[in-house]
Amino acid sequence: MKAVYTIACNTFKETIRNKILYNILLVAGVALILSVSFGDLSVFSRAQVMTDFGLATMSLTGLLLAVFIGVGMLGVEISTKTIYGVITKPVTREAFILGKFFGLLATLLLNFVLIALVFFITIHTLGVPQNASVFNAVLLLMVEMVVIVAAAILFSSFTTPTLAAVFTIGFYIAGHLNDLVNIGAQQQQSIIWSTVLKVLFYIVPNLENFNIRTAVVYNLPIPAGFIAGAVLYGILYAAILLVLSIVLFSRKDL
Amino acid sequence: MNKPVQIIYNRVALLNVTGIAMYSIEIEHLSKTYRKGFWGIKVAAVVDISFSVKKNAVTGFVGPNGAGKTTTIKTITGLVKPSKGNVKVNGVDVSSHTARRGVAYLSEQPCFYGHLTVAESLEFAAKLLGMKAGVIKNEIHRVLDIVELSHKAKSKVKEMSKGMQQRLNMAQALLGNPGLMILDEPMSGMDPPGRRLFRNIFKEMAAKGTTVFFSTHVLEDIESVCDEVVVLSKGRLAYSGSVSDLLAKGHIGTEIEIVSSENSIKDILVQHGCSIESETGSSCTVVVPSAVNAAEILKLLGEKNIYPSQVVNRSSSMEDLLYGKSRGEHE
Repeated sequence: MKAVYTIACNTFKETIRNKILYNILLVAGVALILSVSFGDLSVFSRAQVMTDFGLATMSLTGLLLAVFIGVGMLGVEISTKTIYGVITKPVTREAFILGKFFGLLATLLLNFVLIALVFFITIHTLGVPQNASVFNAVLLLMVEMVVIVAAAILFSSFTTPTLAAVFTIGFYIAGHLNDLVNIGAQQQQSIIWSTVLKVLFYIVPNLENFNIRTAVVYNLPIPAGFIAGAVLYGILYAAILLVLSIVLFSRKDL
Repeated sequence: MNKPVQIIYNRVALLNVTGIAMYSIEIEHLSKTYRKGFWGIKVAAVVDISFSVKKNAVTGFVGPNGAGKTTTIKTITGLVKPSKGNVKVNGVDVSSHTARRGVAYLSEQPCFYGHLTVAESLEFAAKLLGMKAGVIKNEIHRVLDIVELSHKAKSKVKEMSKGMQQRLNMAQALLGNPGLMILDEPMSGMDPPGRRLFRNIFKEMAAKGTTVFFSTHVLEDIESVCDEVVVLSKGRLAYSGSVSDLLAKGHIGTEIEIVSSENSIKDILVQHGCSIESETGSSCTVVVPSAVNAAEILKLLGEKNIYPSQVVNRSSSMEDLLYGKSRGEHE
């Protein structure tokens, strides 16, 4: 555990000094502030537009942070050989993967909190009414980011940083279109295609479980236990991805 | 062989009596193949090598580029998984992370996190070694003093020269007084004072009882600091043994310079298997091959009242011996 903590602290220090991080933060902040004028231009109410735009910005920012910072983490460690200084010590590869994951997660969550703060301050300053489900929506976006970071670590444990970035973006898109895959599986006449789509549906996570934007924007009721279930689903899925990363990384020649 | 090393060998003998393993590294039938290219064609980096590294000795690891030295070292340090065979460090299989306890590794290229300072890099390494917070600061001061880098403690690693980074690499390898140091071309890119410093560190560490195993291309390093040498060639073991044995095998003969114009003496020497070289006036050089006892020839000359003006051992150069070995000439 001590090794995991040491590696996580070092990863946090390393990522927090990454210039890309501040660029993404700046873009997210500007986008959130711009959502004020989008709200005025839209035929929908300012509250609806700002909430929708703000939550979408946070979701995309999470993806960008995971891709630009997360994906490079392992690849850069291997290409610059800084990993040698860790793995040649009495440290397990499991500890290395977990340390990287938690360090990266700490950085991303801190930044996510900052973006969320900008979002809440903006809508509060403009007097946009807030309901409790906005906070739940932000919480679920954070869980979604945990899954995306775990996926980024998994992909970068067996492929190049560029391919890992492509895979992570693909994972994000497929995850948000997963409901369509299920509908496709049900409508397929061919048993083979139906089975393939069903398997895909169960393998790829349903990232729409973390998207309650529509319910929040239109003030729709959220079923009891949905939030807790989605959080549990996200954590379990991230844990499975991390176990897979550890298995693949343990076999890797460095 | 210098004095401290002789003391170390006595310690090795003592360890044998007490039943503690006498080898720090044991490699049995190690093979490693990599898959390369689109079709994943198997390429053998190391083929069925077996050797052991004696505890408390300085062992050199030699071979031309592409001989498999780095692959072997990476296997010992757990960076690469063996395709076949067993590798043990201090009796523990390298697949377990516990095999790396008390083991220091120094890579050919210094590889540190650019965002850290010298002191922060060492602190990170010390924490990974499981050192207690109370001792880390003093330990960092100690190792920086050894590598003469104390004045750079607050400098960013990425702003330092390669030679300086290699000193830092050595400093992190010295953390916690390891029992075994595995060094991959440690003196690559070092200036002469740096090389001298590293050689002295090896000698001091060996005198303290640390096993030092290092790969090098510089044969002077082998002659000046090593007790043992392992030679690889094209992924196979070409030689493993003591440097003194290797040098003894390279003994070609003895050159005796005498002053005598008598042909009868020369005939007698030729009859005893010697050859006469470079005759100038009354003096000549007699070459006694290693198969002939040079002491007997000297005694014979003494009986004839001929006393040599010079007696010199003639040996193959270290380069001939090692790279001859690596070409398989001496097998």
